[in-house]
Amino acid sequence: MPRPAPSLIPSFSRPQSRVAIRNSLAYQSDLAAVLHETLLEFDLPVRGKTVLLKPNFVGFDPLGMTNTHPAVVHAARETFLRLGASAVLIGEGPALERDTHAVLESIRLREYLGPLSQIFVDLNLDDVERVRLKTHASRLNELYLPKTVLGVDFLVSLPKLKTHHWAGVTLSLKNMFGVVPGGCYGWPKNALHWAGIDRAILDINAAVRPDFAIVDGIIGMEGNGPIQGQSKNCGVLVVGDDPVAVDATCTRIMGLLPEKINYIARAATLLGHIQPAQIQQVGESISSVQTPFAVLDTFAHLKARV
Amino acid sequence: MENTCLRFLLDTQNEDGGWGFHTGSTSRAEPTAWAVVALVEWASTQAHKDAAFRAFHFLDAAQLPDGSWPTSPALREGSWVTSLACLALLGQNEFSGKVKRGFGWLCKDLPGEAGLLHRIVRLFVARKKVGTQNESYFGWSWTIGTASWVEPTSYAIISMRATPPEWMSATAKRRLRIGEAMLFDRMCPGGGWNCGNPMVYGVPGEPQVSSSVWALLALREHPQRPEVQKSLAWLQGELNSIRSPASLALAIMAMNAYGRPHPLLAESLQTKYEQDEILWDVPEVAWAALALSSTQNWLKQKSNGKS
Repeated sequence: MPRPAPSLIPSFSRPQSRVAIRNSLAYQSDLAAVLHETLLEFDLPVRGKTVLLKPNFVGFDPLGMTNTHPAVVHAARETFLRLGASAVLIGEGPALERDTHAVLESIRLREYLGPLSQIFVDLNLDDVERVRLKTHASRLNELYLPKTVLGVDFLVSLPKLKTHHWAGVTLSLKNMFGVVPGGCYGWPKNALHWAGIDRAILDINAAVRPDFAIVDGIIGMEGNGPIQGQSKNCGVLVVGDDPVAVDATCTRIMGLLPEKINYIARAATLLGHIQPAQIQQVGESISSVQTPFAVLDTFAHLKARV
Repeated sequence: MENTCLRFLLDTQNEDGGWGFHTGSTSRAEPTAWAVVALVEWASTQAHKDAAFRAFHFLDAAQLPDGSWPTSPALREGSWVTSLACLALLGQNEFSGKVKRGFGWLCKDLPGEAGLLHRIVRLFVARKKVGTQNESYFGWSWTIGTASWVEPTSYAIISMRATPPEWMSATAKRRLRIGEAMLFDRMCPGGGWNCGNPMVYGVPGEPQVSSSVWALLALREHPQRPEVQKSLAWLQGELNSIRSPASLALAIMAMNAYGRPHPLLAESLQTKYEQDEILWDVPEVAWAALALSSTQNWLKQKSNGKS
């Protein structure tokens, strides 16, 4: 019997996941020191490897509440370089705007990272390769994905902590929509919406499951996210070796129930863990950092009883 | 400045006659279409003409049997790129048959929300609408069977407006009319357009330069419409804060198309290119070349397959 792909291990035979929460943070803090200290505990196999950081740069964000903050991206890049990675690239395919340069200018990424020409990859315009999907939650069957994403050794999802008006929340799993190239599917990547957002999230993550996740929860977004909500101070970074466990933890920090978020609940069968007993929690406890996020009325059922 | 852009295009053309999005990447129909539109617009040297000629043949070979063009050679399904490939080949007699088939596909290709099933479903879920747009108006989608959006609709209209009038069937004229109505309907409350969501759950959408420019270019036959005037005013107000070369080039294009040239903008664009900033991609460079063209022939209607 063929062995399942590494991303597709049933939850009952998957080893425990590790998630760390660090709090009391601001973008002006020494985030690289915090992340380095935290990631050392994970003993990640990145020495000599090419790492791709996939932040969430969904569109223009002059107020700094929609996209992963460039300070977090910079800190993550510094951290992986200190851990011995041979190259740390940043790749994103903004969903709503094809002028990626304009998006990067709006968040002042260059001020944090210096010249971007050698380290930033516009995944919307990258060369692509056909990938037959390993799961069939949606009717997509196959996707054309950027060669950069398929070719790196270690993939890190680097989203922002936000509510989402269709999916409930958008975290490290939903962030992977950004690897689907606009150059093949448009701006927005509407084929994914028509295939069913929840289902497409599962298929994409089964095809290119992030090896690690770092969530920018220092300032998140509540209400009508992912772009039209209100900013929400939360002051945390949540990191882990299982994107499903990281998303479940973030959801609990937001005062919501991951078991009731369709795609996270379904991801728990094959892609990772959501049950607290299967997640080794390090750093701060969830209860000590919990910050209830407002949600649209359509998602009132996601709220946990405090 | 235009020489810098045209030189870049000549230098980055692949052996197969096409262009990828970046130097050295695989040829695809969209960057090839934009490069050839820019080269034909200038066509000042034999090298430009030769490069364009090779590109025509790349586009010719990339067309699918149903008349459409895919986004990538590996894909076997039509897309928004069909409008751009038609635009690139318009005016070339040798390829008029190809263009007619392309337009035929565009006229037949309905977005998902125009389908019967979707319309029936909409009758029952009307109360749950998240936006304000009138869904009886539809334009063109990015990919087959998905919803109408501002940019692909604008590309199709720009292409149709450049088509010889005798090629425009009744269906084509109807699609053009409904597509324009869709664009007017999708304008953001304060003027300008984003990808196509003027309002979500009661919150007004923020307009974006690139989407606004494409919509304005598509609607340039209606310069007196209040929506157009309001959107031009919005764009005018944005001009000094645009920092990316692509958006700046597009903004110049729109202002030129409405007879409001702004020489300082062109200088600003030149400065950005001299700084050799990031993300030189082929469409962006082609737009810069088009922005600096004083004739804007690429937007004009062709007759009998010729400019």
